[in-house]
Amino acid sequence: MRHLRAELATLNRPLTWAVMTAAALFCVLLAIGGADNARRAVDDTGGGRSPSCAVMRLPAGPACAQALAIQKRRIEEEHAAGTRAAARTAAQLDPIAAGAEAAGLMASLPGALAVSLLAGGHIGGEWSGRTLKNVLTQNGRRLRVVAAKLVSLWIAGVGLVCACWTCLAVAGPVIRAADHLPDPHQPTHHAVTWAGTQFGRSLVVLAAFAAIGLLAGVVTRGTIGTMAASAAIVLAMLIAATLPALGRWTPATWVQGWMGFAGGQESIGSLPDNFWSRFIDTGGTAPGHAMGLAGVTGLLVTCAVAAFVVFRRLDVTG
Amino acid sequence: METVRCEGLGKTYGRAVAVGDLNLSVEAGQVYGFLGPNGSGKTTTMRMLLGLIRPTSGRAWLNGRALPDPAGLAHVGAMIEEPAFHPWMTGRRSLEVLALYGPPFRRADAVAEALGKVGLTSAADRKVKTYSQGMRQRLGLALALMRAPSVVLLDEPMNGMDPAAIREFRATVRCVADSGTTVFLSSHQLTEVEQICDRVAVMTSGRVIAEGRPDDLTTAVVRVVLAPADRAAARTLLSSSFPVRAEDSDALVVGSGDGHAVNELLGRGGVWAHQIRVERSGLERAFLALTGPTGEEVEDDAASPR
Repeated sequence: MRHLRAELATLNRPLTWAVMTAAALFCVLLAIGGADNARRAVDDTGGGRSPSCAVMRLPAGPACAQALAIQKRRIEEEHAAGTRAAARTAAQLDPIAAGAEAAGLMASLPGALAVSLLAGGHIGGEWSGRTLKNVLTQNGRRLRVVAAKLVSLWIAGVGLVCACWTCLAVAGPVIRAADHLPDPHQPTHHAVTWAGTQFGRSLVVLAAFAAIGLLAGVVTRGTIGTMAASAAIVLAMLIAATLPALGRWTPATWVQGWMGFAGGQESIGSLPDNFWSRFIDTGGTAPGHAMGLAGVTGLLVTCAVAAFVVFRRLDVTG
Repeated sequence: METVRCEGLGKTYGRAVAVGDLNLSVEAGQVYGFLGPNGSGKTTTMRMLLGLIRPTSGRAWLNGRALPDPAGLAHVGAMIEEPAFHPWMTGRRSLEVLALYGPPFRRADAVAEALGKVGLTSAADRKVKTYSQGMRQRLGLALALMRAPSVVLLDEPMNGMDPAAIREFRATVRCVADSGTTVFLSSHQLTEVEQICDRVAVMTSGRVIAEGRPDDLTTAVVRVVLAPADRAAARTLLSSSFPVRAEDSDALVVGSGDGHAVNELLGRGGVWAHQIRVERSGLERAFLALTGPTGEEVEDDAASPR
């Protein structure tokens, strides 16, 4: 616990606060854009009148009447879909349900990149700043040092989710009202379940991102190298997921499966709840929650063990 | 009791030998100087003793415990090369956070006491990024001393310190050693090493080539100042027992450290000197002779016009 306290004290630094602020700002700006998208979807489909027979270049008569009926039905369906999407967006901006939005964003590409930045400073920075020798001469138990680094980085990732959730909880109702989004009529317990489930799932994904950052730090031994290597690993995971046949067996699809992100174009809505699964080929069935959890946990353990093995044998010359 | 012992300790990087077959022994309570040119293996040796670098051969012990011994570091203080701290933290906070990595202090004011020992109390609550290099060195020294360790390893501790700070450092080291702590330090400040250290080892190319008390490594001569008219007679008397050379018009330099013997020889011969003084050549000359080009090359370099 003393090691963890030391690492958390070290994380109380300008980089951490800057990354948290940037993540929260990103979430709020995304929410503003998403709410605007939703309002436009309703407005663009709501006031539309059916075109006339002359516009459709049909003579007045049964054929034109049938065409008008089809057009009217299509417009009504589009308006209903737009209204449903707007209601869904409004639900996402509920103060409690915003936790699901925050968790989804941080358990996907934006969160992975934020954790990469934090790993660069917190782990790679020990080599770049030549401060690692101070730590190891106070306590040479390298397993404890690396475990404390991993846990503290994970806690910082969880802090990102909390910061984004807090900002969305405050800004969400304001944004919803400003864009006149329809009331989603969402029961509170549904919002709590939704947010709680996604928040809980994001904890495992964030731990995996932290383990990736730890491994990158121990291997590259520098701030910039850690940031770049972590980000590169995440991007490589996403690219690997697009490969035909292989996609189901890659870490990116395991994250998708565990978090329950909709695949491909289905994941793109007025307000995206993740920046992850849109890159993933939807051919075939996405892995379910169980396989996703197994995969993500395996990724976490593999990276953490590899980092410890490397760190234990490392000569600290800086 | 030996607090530091190395037997055949070595470290190679591929074909490059950083430290080769190092044998060393430091008794408790000693101030032990570790000298050598840049790249001789001093810092690598210290890092091996602290578990920062894994030796490729040999064994080492700290406080009687065979290395690696992570738990044993609780009784060891260290400052390796240029001390580095997180720039956004204050000096005091830096020590408090680093203290969390080790066992809890027995004394609640250990950090404040360590800062006081190195003269950083007034600057303790300033961020490290505002510190000068000398202040960072002192903060590193505070870090090494804050647990009241039984052995302290200091690598180039006086870098960046002004003369007043060096004098304070010398007093601090002496005080620490007098309390029974073993101090193992490396430095290029040879005049300071000569004043502080009980024993020194000279290292080059990864091996110890000389070891002993500073006096044992330096050479002494006797300078005799007398009337020019007596110089020839004095030279005849002394050259029967010692190597002698003339210097200036009124001085002889005798190749011996025994001023009494020189005085007795002159007295028996009826020659009376104005002044007889024993002079030590200094650790720097001995160090350069041991680690540099041959002694003749060193003297030729010194004599050649610039």
